[in-house]
Amino acid sequence: MSILEEISDNLQHGKAKAVKELVQQAVDEGIPPETVLKEGMLPGMNIIGEKFKNNEVYVPEVLVAARAMNMGAQVLKPYLEKAGVKAVGKVCLGTVQGDLHDIGKNLVKMMLEGKGLEVIDLGVDVSPDTFVNTAVEQNCQIICCSALLTTTMGVMGEVVKKAEEAGIRDKVKIMIGGAPVSQAFCDQIGADCYTPDAASCADAAVQFCLAMQ
Amino acid sequence: MKSRERFTAVFNNTLPDDRLPAIEWASWWWDRTIMEWQKQGLPDTLGFHDVAPYLKLDQHYQFWFPHRRSDCPQPAFNGGPIAEDEEEYEKILPYLYPLEEAEAHIEVMKTLKAGHDNGDYPVWFSLDGGFWFPRTILGIENHLYSFYDQPELYHRMLDDLADFQLKLLEKMYAVITPDFMTFGEDMSYNNGPMISEDSFDEFLLPYYEKIVPYIKAHGTKVIVDTDGDVSKMIPWLMRAGIEGVLPLERQAGVDVVALRELYPKFIFIGAFDKMTMRRGVDDMRGEFERLLPVMKTGGFIPSCDHQTPPDVPLERYRIYVEMLKEYAEKAVKG
Repeated sequence: MSILEEISDNLQHGKAKAVKELVQQAVDEGIPPETVLKEGMLPGMNIIGEKFKNNEVYVPEVLVAARAMNMGAQVLKPYLEKAGVKAVGKVCLGTVQGDLHDIGKNLVKMMLEGKGLEVIDLGVDVSPDTFVNTAVEQNCQIICCSALLTTTMGVMGEVVKKAEEAGIRDKVKIMIGGAPVSQAFCDQIGADCYTPDAASCADAAVQFCLAMQ
Repeated sequence: MKSRERFTAVFNNTLPDDRLPAIEWASWWWDRTIMEWQKQGLPDTLGFHDVAPYLKLDQHYQFWFPHRRSDCPQPAFNGGPIAEDEEEYEKILPYLYPLEEAEAHIEVMKTLKAGHDNGDYPVWFSLDGGFWFPRTILGIENHLYSFYDQPELYHRMLDDLADFQLKLLEKMYAVITPDFMTFGEDMSYNNGPMISEDSFDEFLLPYYEKIVPYIKAHGTKVIVDTDGDVSKMIPWLMRAGIEGVLPLERQAGVDVVALRELYPKFIFIGAFDKMTMRRGVDDMRGEFERLLPVMKTGGFIPSCDHQTPPDVPLERYRIYVEMLKEYAEKAVKG
């Protein structure tokens, strides 16, 4: 097994310490940081994401894998910056105003980062203004809104309206998700994309960012 | 037929003589819904247990035993941890498993015994389950990591939990024999189980195997309360001796009609898509029509598939109750 395969395998099994050490070893051995990312870490997260979509692994397995990914990414970050490697895109993410549930949002964040996207986590109870202002100030390509409650999902529609008012609707994709949200609701409020799970969200976000490059 | 007899009939996979029970399974109405309805004419003088009979639903009494003392330290934020590791668990142990506070509930149950024995209403109790309880202690996210990071602590917590629950159940059964019970779990979400079958078997199954046979030996039906899509978990739960599930959330994709085909004797409570209550009368009727074939099979109590949302007007809810009773009768009379 090559060191890149080892990184992928350990990442899939959530072995954060091993991933961190292997990433450092790979860099020390002269493997370009972008190669470590694209041929070691990202394939590992992709496999976990696919398995998660297919209910072959579950939330704890995704969390420990994503944690391993983040540990490896911390090691790799300065090398990537030095090599001039940029993130695939930038996303601001949060649970909408009135809603304090964040486990789904956190899963999405980990999956997005696992796909090489830069994520600005706005936390929970995020107002439509905050979503839109952050997207403007930080040049985000994507706004991701999460809601668990039927009573708060309506805020997502306000995010769409605020983005229109701010004149950024053609520059930013608005993605929505969470237990009460559906494709029909996405269509109704004029958002760009609904995904049923965190892994699908990350896949779609990458596609949007690549299309906008 | 008396109210309790209706429940008993359904739990035995038969049909009552007159109609199915008509209940809102969640005895704790959403406070926001109650506040909205009070603006629309619901008397604000109604006590906790007065709302169901006022709305012409069948009375039932739920007791959720406390698992933490009322003075137990609280999480710093919603879903946050009280204890994150074994050392912190040791520190809060004096606040956990409060038998005296649980006994206070049993004293209240005592006051309902005469009516219960007389068949006027069913009584049920709820316990924090092996997924739920550690989550309240460790916090939502840390709890999910704990299956990998702190398996020994998880096992220890469930051993302690089972010991506590067996002690309190012994005291309760000396006083009253409830008709059914729920393990509060919420271990599924809109995409299915939150944990794997392997994790379920390693952590939760041994816990259930300690408690469930004791409860069933007293004739109390054992049901798991887990929001989201429980479909995939049902065989796991059956292996643990569980006899039913609620609330079967339609929004999460649960299809009680398909589940009934797969599990002819499993008890189902809930399954009525609450979103139809927001959309209007025609949608509600359509939803009852969807459920009617399952209602006719016994072992199913139709009820809102979680709590009624606050934006359902009181007047529409009254129509819902009328319709619920109409179909509850139709189910048994053809």
